[in-house]
Amino acid sequence: MQIGFYFDQTRCTGCGACQVACKDWHDLPAGPENWMRVLYSEKGKFPDVFVSYMVAPCYHCLNPVCIPACPVHAISKRAEDGIVVVDVEACLGNEECDVKCLKACPYNTPQFGPEPGAKMRKCNLCLDRWSDNKLPVCVEACPTRALDAGPLDELKVKYGDIQEAEGFVYSNRTKPSVVLKPKRPKAS
Amino acid sequence: MSSEEMSTTSQGTKIVRTTTAFDCGGRCPLRLHVKDGRIIRIEGDDAPEPEQLRACLRCRAYRQEIYNPNRLMYPLRRTGAKGEGKFERISWDEALETIASELKRVKDTYGNSSIFLIGGGYLGALHSGMRATAKLLSMFGGYTTSYGNVSSEGSVWAVMAQYGSVMVGHSREDFLNSKLIIMWGWDPARMISGTNTMYDLIKAKEAGVRIISIGPRYHDSAATLAEQWIPIRPGTDTAMMVSMAYVMIKEGLHNQEFLDKYTIGFDKFRDYVLGIEDGVEKTPAWAEEITGVPASAIERLAREYATTKPASLMDCQGPARSAMGEQYNRCAMTLTAMTGNVGRRGGSAAGGLMGIPIGHMFRSSGIPGMRNPVEAGGPSIRGTLDLGLRLVRRVHINKIFDAILEGKTGGYPADIKLAWCVGGNPLNQLGNTNKAARALKDLEFLIVSELFVTPTARFADIVLPVTSAAERNDLTRPWPSGPYFTVVNKAIEPLGECKSDFDIACELAEKLGFADFNTRSEEEWLRSFVEENPETGEQIKDYDKFRREGVHRVKLAEPIVAFKEEIENPEDKPFQTPSGKIEIFSQRAAELNNPLCPPIPKYISTWEDRNDPLIKKYPLQLLSPHPKNRVHSHMNVDWLREVEPHRAWINSVDAEPRGIKDGDEIYVFNDRGKLAINAWVTERIVPGVICIFEGAWYNPDEEGIDRGGCVNVLTNDAYSEGGAAALNTALVQVSKA
Repeated sequence: MQIGFYFDQTRCTGCGACQVACKDWHDLPAGPENWMRVLYSEKGKFPDVFVSYMVAPCYHCLNPVCIPACPVHAISKRAEDGIVVVDVEACLGNEECDVKCLKACPYNTPQFGPEPGAKMRKCNLCLDRWSDNKLPVCVEACPTRALDAGPLDELKVKYGDIQEAEGFVYSNRTKPSVVLKPKRPKAS
Repeated sequence: MSSEEMSTTSQGTKIVRTTTAFDCGGRCPLRLHVKDGRIIRIEGDDAPEPEQLRACLRCRAYRQEIYNPNRLMYPLRRTGAKGEGKFERISWDEALETIASELKRVKDTYGNSSIFLIGGGYLGALHSGMRATAKLLSMFGGYTTSYGNVSSEGSVWAVMAQYGSVMVGHSREDFLNSKLIIMWGWDPARMISGTNTMYDLIKAKEAGVRIISIGPRYHDSAATLAEQWIPIRPGTDTAMMVSMAYVMIKEGLHNQEFLDKYTIGFDKFRDYVLGIEDGVEKTPAWAEEITGVPASAIERLAREYATTKPASLMDCQGPARSAMGEQYNRCAMTLTAMTGNVGRRGGSAAGGLMGIPIGHMFRSSGIPGMRNPVEAGGPSIRGTLDLGLRLVRRVHINKIFDAILEGKTGGYPADIKLAWCVGGNPLNQLGNTNKAARALKDLEFLIVSELFVTPTARFADIVLPVTSAAERNDLTRPWPSGPYFTVVNKAIEPLGECKSDFDIACELAEKLGFADFNTRSEEEWLRSFVEENPETGEQIKDYDKFRREGVHRVKLAEPIVAFKEEIENPEDKPFQTPSGKIEIFSQRAAELNNPLCPPIPKYISTWEDRNDPLIKKYPLQLLSPHPKNRVHSHMNVDWLREVEPHRAWINSVDAEPRGIKDGDEIYVFNDRGKLAINAWVTERIVPGVICIFEGAWYNPDEEGIDRGGCVNVLTNDAYSEGGAAALNTALVQVSKA
């Protein structure tokens, strides 16, 4: 089984509640380490502007290129649910290995704190919440209900199988586990 | 109830169901996870959909407010110069003794009217600064205070003139019944207008409701919802509305039957619109000149709004926070009457306040007040539209600092010598911050009750550390809407030596010799507020369950529709105006005999709009909307700052000639002040307009340049004829720093 995310880009107001809820649940300090990021895109000229947001957690790829990139095999993919996890103890830290996982990832998912030697951490789909029958905290925090998570097959049945959106390119190499409802520029 | 009774515990973690009492239009159920006496995590509401009330990013960051390293932990006495921010720790006993003796000194030397009470943005039944403290000061012989709030007075005046009621909203699920929603100066993704309002609008959009957004910014609400954005210059909304009325009248699209049956004075408005009154036809071409909106777009919108039924015109309070603010809401309401959308499902009554009568802040209970002896003998102000009468004994909220400086010789009701600011940051949040700083230096004594040493508190003689809502019990409501009621449940013990505002008032009462000041425990008060309030007394039968669950939701059989009864049964249920009708012409306003406050809604040019010669020196109009990364000046925390850094929106058309690139530090200035802020160069704002969100903390350097980016160093401490704080009427210039 593979668990993944669903994101309805048409509902996202870019508010950042998902990002803050993630920081609170995982007790992450303010700073560069963001397990959930909200990317911004603005196109066009006044008054014909197109604005979109794209959430950037870890997409828990079917073929995670971060795993072979890691020199100490600190990253692994769980057999039971496909969640990509990192063994923080094993990670060499941002200086010793020069963030090879981050360089490999097409989505800039691996996160590091600002301090020298910071270990890689990242979105783990709120592993600790599934056992309590809770969805990831970002999903439950979204004020406009733009996020969902669950078995990828079920998400595709529920939401369709589109895997592209504004500000997101589906990587055929890594195969991110995400289903999307893209926002389209208005026909003028 | 003890905290054990109202919480559930699992694996050493206690879950406390509560909410916050910030000055916010949402009131969202929270589950605080408490372990070893400390809040370790926050979750939101877990009610099944569709009843779930989801918190926004602000309450998600609540932990960083509660446990902020800058939280005040003990009382302080100022040791440095006023504003310098140098303090020393003192005991509560010394702090309260000092306050008691200063209150007595000022009372004996100048009289009670020289004592000024400034309220704040904590919206609780028990702990709001304007309740216990106000009662105590009344027992002490009275005090002077402010009139009005800084947010909504333009809208309040307008709805009282037009409808005689502030309950002008529909419950939000009624958006689904609209065919067209016009969001006019309204950004609910940022300015929470009822917890789930943005979600309700998304559901309406997905159900096929067409949504149009009008405003100077292509804000996130527009970007998410609107099929069409109509950019408009600030302060000119009324001109566009008047010309929409022109199109409807000329083309016979207005609902004359509705106007005849339910309104008075449409003929006078029509004479103004057609130019019979003043010789100026308010054509779309006339409005294009003023608003920058193409005449063809105005015509199209007028026809679409008049012929799509039902349609919901949603104005708000921001555009009304301007020098002629009330005209905007009055004109919006007039359009809703012209199209027959008032009192109708899927329609709207406009008016900007969006309030519904279940769970509204205005109907909250609180510690019963006492007559303030200083206000005794003042004129009757009930129902008046004459702002002057309201200011006989009080000071307009946006003139507090002018009143401190000018006193009775400046026409104010008192010579203010001592001020007590309870849970507010007025220096930062009212117009003309640099003047405010001068005024606070002018006071003989300033007391500030706060969670932080705010910019206001830096001027205080005594700063009292106050508990956050996580450290006390209370009842609280959102601004405009339920339909639900919420509880603040204490999750943790007070941090440091913090005390609640209620306890501070009780302890000071003892020092002042009022042994009988308080007769009830916190618990007894809260229970009585629930049981004795007409709404909650009716709705909530099990107080303990309400406390435990932290929220009581009211199931509506059908959407609440403002003025439904007035429209369905006009004979039995007249509007609460003198005529019993919707007053497009208000005789009460006519009697003011003030051309700037006319009896019918009119577009009126004003100081610091684009016609002001000052625009040569200061060519940009300034907007100061709500921040999304704070609650006004509260929640100044890192998790929110990194979601949205504090920065000024400026169009590339204005940035490029000034050599400003995205991210550059810029100066924004006028004769009132100068601030430094980073530029966000975007196509999402009308050229000629700059936008700085309110609430960033004032932090002037040696040259007087505000490095904190507090927008109110640029705004004016003026108010409109209806009482709106005119914070969105200001001209500025911008340069690269």
